[in-house]
Amino acid sequence: MSIQEQYRKRAAELLASGEVKIIIGYGAGSTPDRRRALFIRSADDASLLHVDAACDANLSGYLVSEGLLSDRKKVGIFLRPEGIRSVNILAAESQLDPLQIVIIGFNVENGSLAALQGSGVNDFSSLISTLKESRSTPEEQALIEKIEGMTPEERFAFWQAEFSKCIKCYACRQVCPMCYCKRCIVDNNQPQWVHTSSHTLGNFEWNLVRAFHLSGRCVECGGCDRACPVNIPLRLINRRMAQEVLDAFDHFSGMSHTQEPVLASFKKDDPETFIL
Amino acid sequence: MAKIGVFICHCGENIGAKIDCTKLVSAMNDHPGVSVSVEYKYFCSDPGQENVKKAIREHNLTGVVVAACSPRMHEATFRKACAEAGLNPYLCEIANIREQCSWVHTDQDMATEKAIEITRSLIEKVKLNNELQPIEVPVTKRALVIGGGIAGIQAALDIANAGQEVVLVEREPSLGGHMAQLSETFPTLDCSQCIMTPRMVEAAQHPKIRLLTYSEVEQVEGFIGNFKVRIRQKSRYVDMKACTGCGDCIQKCPQKKISDEFDCNLGKRPAIYTPFAQAVPNIPVIDKEHCTFFKNGKCKVCQKVCETDAINFEMQDEFLELEIGAIVVATGFQIQNTAMYGEYGYGKYADVITGLQFERLASASGPTAGKIKRPSDGVEPETIVFIQCAGSRDPSKGVKYCSKICCMYTAKHAMLYAHKVHGGKAHVFYMDIRAAGKGYDEFTRRAIEEDEASYLRGRVSKVWKENGKLMVRGVDTLLGKPVEIAADMVVLATAITPQPDAKEFAKVVGIGCDEYGFYNEAHLKLRPVETATAGIFLAGACQSPKDIPDSVSQASACASKVIGLFSRDQLEREPVIAVNNESTCSGCWGCALACPYNAIEKKDILSRSGELIKRVAFINPGLCQGCGTCVTFCRSNSIDLAGFTEKQIFAEVMGL
Ligand SMILES: Cc1cc2nc3c(=O)[nH]c(=O)nc-3n(C[C@H](O)[C@H](O)[C@H](O)COP(=O)(O)OP(=O)(O)OC[C@H]3O[C@@H](n4cnc5c(N)ncnc54)[C@H](O)[C@@H]3O)c2cc1C
Ligand code: SF4
Ligand code: SF4
Ligand code: SF4
Ligand code: SF4
Repeated sequence: MSIQEQYRKRAAELLASGEVKIIIGYGAGSTPDRRRALFIRSADDASLLHVDAACDANLSGYLVSEGLLSDRKKVGIFLRPEGIRSVNILAAESQLDPLQIVIIGFNVENGSLAALQGSGVNDFSSLISTLKESRSTPEEQALIEKIEGMTPEERFAFWQAEFSKCIKCYACRQVCPMCYCKRCIVDNNQPQWVHTSSHTLGNFEWNLVRAFHLSGRCVECGGCDRACPVNIPLRLINRRMAQEVLDAFDHFSGMSHTQEPVLASFKKDDPETFIL
Repeated sequence: MAKIGVFICHCGENIGAKIDCTKLVSAMNDHPGVSVSVEYKYFCSDPGQENVKKAIREHNLTGVVVAACSPRMHEATFRKACAEAGLNPYLCEIANIREQCSWVHTDQDMATEKAIEITRSLIEKVKLNNELQPIEVPVTKRALVIGGGIAGIQAALDIANAGQEVVLVEREPSLGGHMAQLSETFPTLDCSQCIMTPRMVEAAQHPKIRLLTYSEVEQVEGFIGNFKVRIRQKSRYVDMKACTGCGDCIQKCPQKKISDEFDCNLGKRPAIYTPFAQAVPNIPVIDKEHCTFFKNGKCKVCQKVCETDAINFEMQDEFLELEIGAIVVATGFQIQNTAMYGEYGYGKYADVITGLQFERLASASGPTAGKIKRPSDGVEPETIVFIQCAGSRDPSKGVKYCSKICCMYTAKHAMLYAHKVHGGKAHVFYMDIRAAGKGYDEFTRRAIEEDEASYLRGRVSKVWKENGKLMVRGVDTLLGKPVEIAADMVVLATAITPQPDAKEFAKVVGIGCDEYGFYNEAHLKLRPVETATAGIFLAGACQSPKDIPDSVSQASACASKVIGLFSRDQLEREPVIAVNNESTCSGCWGCALACPYNAIEKKDILSRSGELIKRVAFINPGLCQGCGTCVTFCRSNSIDLAGFTEKQIFAEVMGL
């Protein structure tokens, strides 16, 4: 049986037995090589589910949809390892109860699909620990090194050129499972801290706020990067910030559902190199 | 309509000499919303404040900006003046045009331009200020004193004698600290134990003092008047109520060869012990690490000999949660290990000892019963070399600062040696003699002139062993000649350093410390016993190296601060506190974790039928200290700080 068949069967069983009230998975997309989120409530619809290497979206953001979890019933969800990490963070930030989440885990490695064993967040802890050790792809690494080799002026010019493209569509925010606030700081117009028009200052402000708010929280699912209609390399920012918190605080986001948010917590042995 | 008064202070020459105040006045008069702008030489003076009050009444002002020094200096002064004129004090803002403006700039035009901008930005802020009312909080009238050395004991006694409750916490089995280890004390040479013991007993028996020895403070929460403190009482394995202090157990313990910390490792003690004979309380503890029973599961000799059944090997640590109104930190010091000076041979030669070890040798209750004998073979030394500044004033290997007491105690040691060993010769190598204090210089002169200590100004470069002698090579810089002395013993005046755990403990208590770990006072000159955390005070050598008179004075000063605080039933707190917007809060509780005062709780928002709609953060106004940490953390921008609202700050920034 193919992995897709196995997973369809598992989804059908979960629904049929009443263990979960809904399954959040992937269905056919607008073109044959794209997938989009699919929500099924009946075992009969399990055949509509797709599981393959094209399933790239991190679906965990749907878990915090208003009212979805308030009846305390369980929800099944298809997640890649990054998605499992975001569920951990959502739990750590009190947005959901991990006991309500039944994970149907899978991974895509070098373009091919692999099934993951387990269903509760804790079942994946050792997998997540191994991810902590892995590094970015060679292409990304090359680009990061290139940027880090620049002088501050060159780097500023590089990001200015990139950010000047931003049209403030906030697709990056919409797609991100960590951006669950009902009101984002950029929506506050009393006072208007971040300029809404897409001129360079406002674009800088927005992208810096985004980078900062996601430091230690981004799981590098790549959602924002794929969503950005003007191809700003948001993954580089995400990567860099993830590396910062890893180096400074040994913090790998989404390790467990009890992990303390790195920027809100204080440990006695935190490095204080920034204090002069 | 805003009617703002702008008062520009010359601060004498401080501002007036660098900033064109007349230009500043006219610029402010042109600024929208400003009703009146005037300059004056010293607005903080009485007539200056009168000017402000008069203007408030005459112009019916809705806000005041005083362009002057830092708000830390005179915000309170001007807020009070505003209140006296009938204006809510929180409608007064200070534009600091001194510290970061007139003091630091040389060009008058540019400094004036900057002063204009700074003042304008505060005018824009004050337009958005709201009237605020002070918050009243009750005061728990119970003080916590941490550390039972002379400083802690003195503070506890003074507070208790004023009729207030005190909890005195000491982590060792007995009160006393370092003073209990000393032989005789400069500058009067009275016996340390003799003047100390009555104080220890008084503290232990005082009806207002609750003494907790062998205990440690593990957590401090809350704020002035309302701290919550968690204390661990380490298990002594001896029931304090049952024990009569007879000491039979101590006699019979088969472990006899444990290095005695109180005697600076010059003597030995058993596994069940009191640190010294006059210990308060006179109740032993079992040193679990060395006890035969705890090591091998067999022994319990002490239990067998104890007539009152006081020994309990099952005893566990106990925890206390106490409500406390004020805290005195008196955790003292340690002496620096001098092993970093390989050339002095400390640790290598048994007869190279520290000053504190010398105190034990000279002490009647010490391991040699007060006879000066060298540790290696118990022979009375004929020649002793004392090396001052063995660690102090040495930025490369030791510490930068002067340890303040070593000149004095070295002179004392030379004297004691002369009194105890007739014909003994003391040589003292020193850098400078710092003997400032009542009777101090006379004391060192006496050591030199009457007790014939030979003082050599210079450093020692090497100590080595030759023919049973410790050879000391140094230089006498006054004669410009190298010297070599064959000594029987070498005594090092080691540096006074903070307790080994001082930095971590600062974090537990919530106070600051310097690079070494000495605790920071709020202001070195004007608030030397307060810390930056309201309600926490410092006494003794935990703040900086100190002798007994200084430690005791500071302890009494702390006590007077605490008694002053406890003289009121309610404290007025600044109404500068954070408020959360529940409709935009996403309930992530990052703020709750980030809040250093634990002021944020979870709050359920329920529908009319009682169903949970959402869970949000609630900021307890009694606990919030207005630090603003949560404001900066909140991603949804839901928290605002009264007096520093986002709108105010934005207006202030945009006013620049
Ligand atoms: C060799 C030598 C000779 C000296 N001779 C003289 C002299 O002749 N005359 C003179 O005036 N001064 C002398 N001094 C200085 C004198 O020892 C100090 O001034 C005095 O001991 C300082 O008292 P204190 O209470 O601040 O600190 P300490 O005596 O160090 O007492 C601190 C107490 O706090 C306790 N403690 C520490 N941390 C904690 C914690 N976290 N919780 C609970 N308890 C804690 C410690 O166990 C200790 O009992 C001498 C010092 C030395 C080193
Ligand atoms: S910031 Fe981008 S990569 Fe990171 S978790 Fe959000 S969507 Fe994924
Ligand atoms: S998705 Fe891209 S263009 Fe849109 S707001 Fe984010 S960075 Fe800007
Ligand atoms: S301002 Fe915020 S972080 Fe600071 S004490 Fe108040 S609630 Fe806590
Ligand atoms: S940080 Fe902001 S969003 Fe999160 S709980 Fe606190 S107030 Fe609410």
